Amino acid sequence: MGPVRKFYQWKQLISNCRKVCFMYILGIDVGGTNTDAALIKDGAVQAVAKVPTKHHHLIDSTLAALDSVLQEQDKDIPFQLHLSTTLSTNAIIEEQGDPVFVLGIPGPGMRIEELNLGFDVEVLTGSIDHRGREVARLNSREVRQKLAEGLVSKDVGLAVVGKFSHRNPSHELEVKKIAREMVNTETDGFRHISLGHRLSGLPNFPRRLATSFLNASVARRQAGFADMVEELFTKGRNVKRIYLLKADGGTMTLKDSRVRPVETILSGPAASIMGAGSLMTHKDVNTVIVDIGGTTTDIAVQVGGLPVFQRQGAEIGRHKTLVPALFARSIGLGGDSEVHVAHESKNHIGSNNSPKFVLGPRRVGVPVALGGEKITPTDAAVALGLAALGDQKRAQRAIAEFGHEIGLDAKTAAKSIIGAFVNQLKTAVCEVYQYLETRPVYTVTELLAPKDIRPRLIVGLGGPAEVFIPMLAKAMDISWEILPHYQEANAVGAAASRPTAAVTLHADTALGTVTVPEMDYAGEITDSRGFNIDQARLQATKWAAKRGKQFDITDLEDIAIIEEESFNMVRGFHRTGRIFMIRAQVRPGVRRVSASKGWADEHLQSKPTLRRGQSQDQKQEEFHG
Amino acid sequence: MGSTNRKKVGLVFFPAFDWAISSDHPEREERLLYTRDQIVEEGLLDVPGIEEFRPTVADENQIDRVHVCVPSTSEVVTKSHMIAAGGTITAADLVFTGQVDRAFAVLRPPGHHANRIVHGSRGFCTINTEAIMVEHIRHTYGPHLRIAIVDTDAHHGDGTQDIFYNDPGVLHISIHQDGRTLYPGSGFTNERGGPKAYGHTINVPLPPGTGDEGLLYVLNELVLPILADYQPDIVINAAGQDNHYSDPLTNMNVTAQGYAQLTELLAPDLVVLEGGYSIEGALPYVNAALLLALAGLDYSQAVEPDFPGDKIRQRPQVTETVKTVVGELQNMWVSRRDVDLGRIFGEGHIFERQRSIYYDTDGIVEEQKEQIRLCSVCSGWRFIQSGASRGFGRTTIAAAVLIPRHVCSECENQAQDLYEAALKKRGFHYVYLQDAGNDIFLKAQRKSGTK
Repeated sequence: MGPVRKFYQWKQLISNCRKVCFMYILGIDVGGTNTDAALIKDGAVQAVAKVPTKHHHLIDSTLAALDSVLQEQDKDIPFQLHLSTTLSTNAIIEEQGDPVFVLGIPGPGMRIEELNLGFDVEVLTGSIDHRGREVARLNSREVRQKLAEGLVSKDVGLAVVGKFSHRNPSHELEVKKIAREMVNTETDGFRHISLGHRLSGLPNFPRRLATSFLNASVARRQAGFADMVEELFTKGRNVKRIYLLKADGGTMTLKDSRVRPVETILSGPAASIMGAGSLMTHKDVNTVIVDIGGTTTDIAVQVGGLPVFQRQGAEIGRHKTLVPALFARSIGLGGDSEVHVAHESKNHIGSNNSPKFVLGPRRVGVPVALGGEKITPTDAAVALGLAALGDQKRAQRAIAEFGHEIGLDAKTAAKSIIGAFVNQLKTAVCEVYQYLETRPVYTVTELLAPKDIRPRLIVGLGGPAEVFIPMLAKAMDISWEILPHYQEANAVGAAASRPTAAVTLHADTALGTVTVPEMDYAGEITDSRGFNIDQARLQATKWAAKRGKQFDITDLEDIAIIEEESFNMVRGFHRTGRIFMIRAQVRPGVRRVSASKGWADEHLQSKPTLRRGQSQDQKQEEFHG
Repeated sequence: MGSTNRKKVGLVFFPAFDWAISSDHPEREERLLYTRDQIVEEGLLDVPGIEEFRPTVADENQIDRVHVCVPSTSEVVTKSHMIAAGGTITAADLVFTGQVDRAFAVLRPPGHHANRIVHGSRGFCTINTEAIMVEHIRHTYGPHLRIAIVDTDAHHGDGTQDIFYNDPGVLHISIHQDGRTLYPGSGFTNERGGPKAYGHTINVPLPPGTGDEGLLYVLNELVLPILADYQPDIVINAAGQDNHYSDPLTNMNVTAQGYAQLTELLAPDLVVLEGGYSIEGALPYVNAALLLALAGLDYSQAVEPDFPGDKIRQRPQVTETVKTVVGELQNMWVSRRDVDLGRIFGEGHIFERQRSIYYDTDGIVEEQKEQIRLCSVCSGWRFIQSGASRGFGRTTIAAAVLIPRHVCSECENQAQDLYEAALKKRGFHYVYLQDAGNDIFLKAQRKSGTK
């Protein structure tokens, strides 16, 4: 990409941002414990709020968070609402979804029973091959018979998924047509019908099955939620638009969430990552985002300012899906983790071998400093004066007692626990990069000259971050930044997210076919000889724009080709055509948000110098155990 | 079928989507595209127990343990070859470190036509990926490991045969379409290995039209009994997929089910893809079926969509020929120790053979003279003189001294002397010494050249 084009894209991005930023955006993230809300305007956080989540009355606590953040504002301010909910996520994890009648069209290949999907699939005859050619036709009598079986009970969703349906959706569409005809004549019909190809243009039949199954199973619940949100949230408030957050860190309209509710799963972790991305100062450097909680720590990765995605899609409960999701790893290490002493060292009390601490993966409860019974990494930090929390004396006594048992003075014990925490965290971060850097690639170029994804910066979130992030940065010898509003970063992330939409175009000039599964499009190439990569890109971009319009996306200038493949096809030593696969996306990304009121862009012009982790050492000296 | 016996399988998949011998060559970017599509769409990489790994890049040292590349390794071997070789090394490491029970390296370009001396590319192969894997295994995990290679590619594995010709540590069985009807035109039952490894090379030429029935007959009646006898520490399958009924370059009738059954019966530790150019009709289904069979999963429905049924049923004459060949080889195996080697290799101290080798891919003609010391202690040094010419170009002449693993001191000293003498002799542009056991590779170039 030339510098000129890049400049215009940049300019466009900023102007887009300004267009939208004049409106208030209210982000809400419904978490397991708390519901957070943040109000942003002009790229700056105006207010934040936090209320406890009421699991059986999600709407109530969500409304409470909303009103709480609007408290200080003028009652009639117009705003756009971005909601990240756990509704679908919880329904799936708790297996509370509706029953779904799943029709699979697997054709030859792995037996469906071997897939261990966790739900039943009724198999239909018919098959499509890898280029989208029909190999065996559907048997419509069999389809009718199976559908009639499925329609016996009420409140049933229907999912129809064919192998290679992303290359040719005709079988799925035909089954749907037959189902609709039967509904008119025989029964009340299925509550919801999910077709595999509409949910993802990517390959993977078992994941497409799971995605469609989950979508159909949460559709009714999501529709009910959407009804309530439309009714209650708009009452007495000037809500202009309502969006829901998705697992890929983008947003979708409330209307779309009725059709593709499965995309709202795991939006919580995505909200945090997007929040970090929008609040951090140095947005374009490679960054590792470390969110340290009480029980777990989540590690996410950004490369060149863009988040890294899961290779195929989100995993939720026992299900592997094709739902696009941000990459994140969760480890059992947090401020409240259990502290163990490694066994082999216990035999060497008094010798030179100092005891080795192992933290987690379980949480023991609240720290001693806050009235707990067992010491935690937080207690070690409090005892050393690195964190001001609860009763320092109590923490110090507990650490001293614990240290005494293993022949360590209190200060050494506390320092060792902190050291163990940093070590374990560093190992986990390194493993994440090890994993990402050894993910399979399929070209010589990528294998020999891998993209540099190594972090230059650690962005820390979460309560214990202030203690541990500078030390982690020192151990990894890179810069660090602790985010302002880290406690509400998830809500800020929800507010800062933008709509996303992607399409997959597959063109085969030998067959003369073009498909865009997400758009139900299966057309023909009129000029097979003239169809080249540029045309394929152009078409994919157009379809992405169309898709964007369906999703009420206004910033359609920013469409990017995110994946691209093209192959010469040779048969019998002659070129017979080309195959193109293009994925185009209305670019996600976040609005830039600064912690204080004012323009985000100004913030960019005066980047503060990055900090290096040093300052904690002095503080440690204050505590003499 | 074997769904009870689950195995952990490592898949080293590298389709080299940006590399081709030339744009319309069978060995081109598109070759593994549909295989990738099938494997991903089947969700095979999500199956518990199947894990995908990225190949490492082999280094010159690992290649030099096997090959003598003329003029030099870096000039003959491209990065793509080093990745393909590296992929087999990754596969071996996965198995030997216990990360997986079995590994399947689906890589390109293939390697089994690459001889020990390499002037260029023949039969789409430049370096022998299996052989590089074998030497890596012996170098890293034990020089005494007994290794069996079962090459099921439709073409004779002549390169692998050449490399392990006189190596008693390797049993090489090649099952292929009769050399009278297919490239490279070799691999007859009378090719049985060198003086110290006689009987360790077994060639099973099958008539055109052989199908699953014939292939599985060979496996059950010949290969499995021989393996039971030989007791290898590790079994490698060079899994060419060009004896498939839809392959454009061969005339065999094997199906995806046949391949899967073969894999289940053979139970190889390591599988390396070789040839196979029916990239749409065969490879996607054969590779999927193979992967299922390796993992111990039910492969009964992994069939080609255009499965022709009775049309490819093996004809009775073919069955008879297969039985005859197998019978002959059974006798050979049983009586291999009774053979009078003196009548084959002579009673002298040195056995000598001359060959002409054609490199179809690069259009090179190589004339080779090889001497092997008939040593009573070790397998003896080998001295190879090789002249290669490309069309009207100058003939490049190279000499290579090969020191076998577990060499005796007498042979070692003589080999050193041979190398010194070759260095002094006019006429050789390049002189090499390869000592696999001590991991030494020496190379010298004559500055003035010859006139």
